[in-house]
Amino acid sequence: MATDRGDVLQGTLDMLVLKALALEPMHGWGITERIEQWSESVLRLGQGTLYPALYRLERQGLIQSEWKVTENNRRARYYSLTRPGRRQFSDELAKWRRMSRAVNLVLEATTAK
Amino acid sequence: MAFIAETWRRLRSIARRDALEDGLDEEIRFHLDQQIEKNRRAGMSPDEARRHAVLKFGGVDGVKERTRDEFRPSLLEDTGRDLRQGIRLLRRAPGLTAAALLTLALGIGATSAIFSVVRTVMLQPLPYADPDRVVAVWETNRSGDRNVIAPANFVAWRERSQTLEHLGMAGPQTLAMVINGQPEEVSGMTFSADAFRALGVQPLLGRAYTAAEDSGGDDGVIVVSYEFWQKWLGGRPDVLTTTLTTEGRRRAIVGVMPQGFTVVGRQADFLIPYGQSPEQLRAVAGRGNSYALARLRQGVTLEGAASEMRSIFAQLQEEAPRRNAGRSVTLLPVQEQMVGELRPASVALTGAAVLVLLVACVNVANLLLARSAAREREVGMRSALGAGRGRLVRQMLVESLVLAVAGGVAGLAVAALCHRGLLLLVSERMPIPRLDQVSLDLPVVAFTMLTALATGLVFGLLPAFVATRDAGSVVREGGRHGGGHRVRRVLSTLVVAEVALSLVLLASAGLLMRSFVKLQSIDPGFRAEGVLTARAQLPATRYDLVRATGFFRDVLPRLAALPGVQYAAGTSCLPLAGPCIGTGFFRLDRPTPVDGQVPSGQVRPITPAFFKTMGIPQVDGRDFSLSDPADSPPVAIVSEAVVREQFGSEDPLGRRLHINITPPGGRTDVEWTIVGVVRDIKLSSLEGDLRPTIYLPSAQLPTRSMTFVLRTEGEPLGLGTSVTKLVHSMEPEAPVDVRTMEDVVGSTIARPRVVSVLVGAFALVALALSAIGVYGVMAYSVRERTQEIALRIALGATALSVCRLVVGQAVRLVLIGIVAGLLSASWVTGLLERLLYDVEPLDPATFAATGLLLLVVAAIASYVPARRGMRMAPADVLRTN
Repeated sequence: MATDRGDVLQGTLDMLVLKALALEPMHGWGITERIEQWSESVLRLGQGTLYPALYRLERQGLIQSEWKVTENNRRARYYSLTRPGRRQFSDELAKWRRMSRAVNLVLEATTAK
Repeated sequence: MAFIAETWRRLRSIARRDALEDGLDEEIRFHLDQQIEKNRRAGMSPDEARRHAVLKFGGVDGVKERTRDEFRPSLLEDTGRDLRQGIRLLRRAPGLTAAALLTLALGIGATSAIFSVVRTVMLQPLPYADPDRVVAVWETNRSGDRNVIAPANFVAWRERSQTLEHLGMAGPQTLAMVINGQPEEVSGMTFSADAFRALGVQPLLGRAYTAAEDSGGDDGVIVVSYEFWQKWLGGRPDVLTTTLTTEGRRRAIVGVMPQGFTVVGRQADFLIPYGQSPEQLRAVAGRGNSYALARLRQGVTLEGAASEMRSIFAQLQEEAPRRNAGRSVTLLPVQEQMVGELRPASVALTGAAVLVLLVACVNVANLLLARSAAREREVGMRSALGAGRGRLVRQMLVESLVLAVAGGVAGLAVAALCHRGLLLLVSERMPIPRLDQVSLDLPVVAFTMLTALATGLVFGLLPAFVATRDAGSVVREGGRHGGGHRVRRVLSTLVVAEVALSLVLLASAGLLMRSFVKLQSIDPGFRAEGVLTARAQLPATRYDLVRATGFFRDVLPRLAALPGVQYAAGTSCLPLAGPCIGTGFFRLDRPTPVDGQVPSGQVRPITPAFFKTMGIPQVDGRDFSLSDPADSPPVAIVSEAVVREQFGSEDPLGRRLHINITPPGGRTDVEWTIVGVVRDIKLSSLEGDLRPTIYLPSAQLPTRSMTFVLRTEGEPLGLGTSVTKLVHSMEPEAPVDVRTMEDVVGSTIARPRVVSVLVGAFALVALALSAIGVYGVMAYSVRERTQEIALRIALGATALSVCRLVVGQAVRLVLIGIVAGLLSASWVTGLLERLLYDVEPLDPATFAATGLLLLVVAAIASYVPARRGMRMAPADVLRTN
């Protein structure tokens, strides 16, 4: 299987997408840009995984999409969070905080007290 | 409701599919445009901006393909496309498709034909009310074998048992009837009124007879089968006001049983009452030919009832030691009684069919894999264009399933043919209950298609996974050797498996055949060839036993005088044609043995010249003569086994025997004087032991039916009509049934014959499939090694060495398969033990011959591709590459 080109941990991609959309409805390119910007260009989303992820999340009913016209007068597909999506995001976030705190504790442990 | 909503959602999403597809294109275009725009703003040239955008995005088609995988309806959608493509591909390779279809049709067809028989004959419950509670009650004799019951015991069981209800007796019975002016011998049963309730079956028309009619009040009644009603009475509506004349007695038809009714698998054209009160039954001294049917009371287990019956029998042993010493009682579920002895054969046949199916699966997997190797580039290309592996596997699987379904349909056709062949093979001489009801009905069709789908999965998954593993590398490396080596290894493994499975089947078939040949070559002790048998039954109304004896005495010389007849004789019990009288006897010049110690032997009533006609050597003394009629001193001829067991080196001639039989006249103290000794013959089965046998003059033990035996000069059956005519000229109402003695002997080994022929046929199919498999893999190997072989030839390799290269490779594979097969076979054939006569399950000769056969066939199968390699023109091959 192809590897993820965007250095994004598998499984965290969904969470990042949900986070991006938690702010406001956005199109696919917008999500890519937003995440790159937030992460100070550390996280690069592979489109090979973004679009499948968007369609998957929509199928799972976590996000919904509609066609809108952008400021430049172009048709684009805007995704937004649904109510279950919002709930899912806060669950994932809590889980992530617990996990990353635990990992940090381990990595930054100096000597056994 | 949820289902409807779900279906609606799916349908709608199919309709939305085009919209989604277009949307995806537009969305990606938008994404790229945005990126280009951004790159331009960063100062790139238009071309550069586009190139970087595309580069950053990754393969556009790959993204699309993977995103499409997320479309919910795409499964359906793609499957439809795969289906069409699968059919197209199969049609493009007609040779391979035909080979795969034929293989599948044989495997699936054989399995469903066997399944259709096993389901109807073995698995289908008997059509009785609550059939699990119906049991058959038998006594067992001293050697533990199932045996008929004593009516006196039966009465006691009925009075004492708390666990069984509706105990009734049932025993086979044939009646001579005159139907439409023709004498006919009809077989049915004597059947207690209670037995109807034991089975829980009531007549379709009319009524069952009552307990009062059964206990002798007015027993001129008869219940007939539906089939009898249709066949002999033309299905006439006034059947219940009709009477039948059976052996001169008029019986009123009071009921017609439902269609297909059997008494535990035994077709009974009529049921008649015993017509005896409990007191009369209790007074019967010996055993008749009946067993009992009963119903377990609610909540009683089979084991509970059996243990109660055994303790009742223990009481009866004390009360009537003479009758019951050394015996016991056994209960068995009716289903078991019907199919128990067929089980080893049906297990063997099912196993053989499943093995053929497995070999077929392996073979088709082999063919598909070899082909998928040829399609390597196509698969690689699709993979490079972004098809995920799951997608590729699914596509190949759909192709296999298309093949499997087509194979299933073809398999049904094969099953229909096999099935007719099967029923023909199991001719009427081998009565298997319910065989006539076997049909390719809905459950069999469903089973066949399910088997087909399952085989499709089995043979499809492996090639699909093997062929798609790093499919992408094929294109990247641009070569044709991407997975060749790996594919060849898997192909080789499959061939080894195929050879091993075939060997198991071939070895089993070989053992069964050897066993059958041994059975066939058993010397029965008489010469069956050239002997015609004709069974005649006299109507009881006009013939008492004295008149019957007179009739037979008159008819025999006229039979012997027929042109083409050398000798003629008769017996009331033909050897190998069913059970006869087995009873106790002892020497009168020795102390009377205690109960339970009485030697037992077979008793056979015969006429003079029986031994001469049958070709049984007379060892000592004389034959019976016409001067041994009913009123002269009783005489007997014994077999050598009697002499060996009872007399040792003493001279048996002139000694007197007591025999536990009651000749007409009711005298039980008859003393039989031995006047001759003959060689032993097989009486009940070819493979059975030689039992002590006592022959008595049929005049002194008369019956109303007699089987004539005639030693003929030409083809025995040619005399059939003249024998029937002669008997009918003397008694038009006596039915006559003509068979050759060879036929009688042959039908005792009909079952081993059928089993060995069927397993043999399956084994041949497996052998053919293995040959195809070996051929396929070697052909692939030669194709794949074309350059290597061409190079060798160019460097001076001879045709012989190329041949050795290819055939040697095949032989190595097959040898591994043979070793694996021998190991599995040595385990499997142990299961056949009960079907084998005088052949060890590990018979080395059979195993060796089987291995050799496979090796030779494999060598031949690999020679064809080897020859292709040998005839290769090296210059051409090397130039094209």
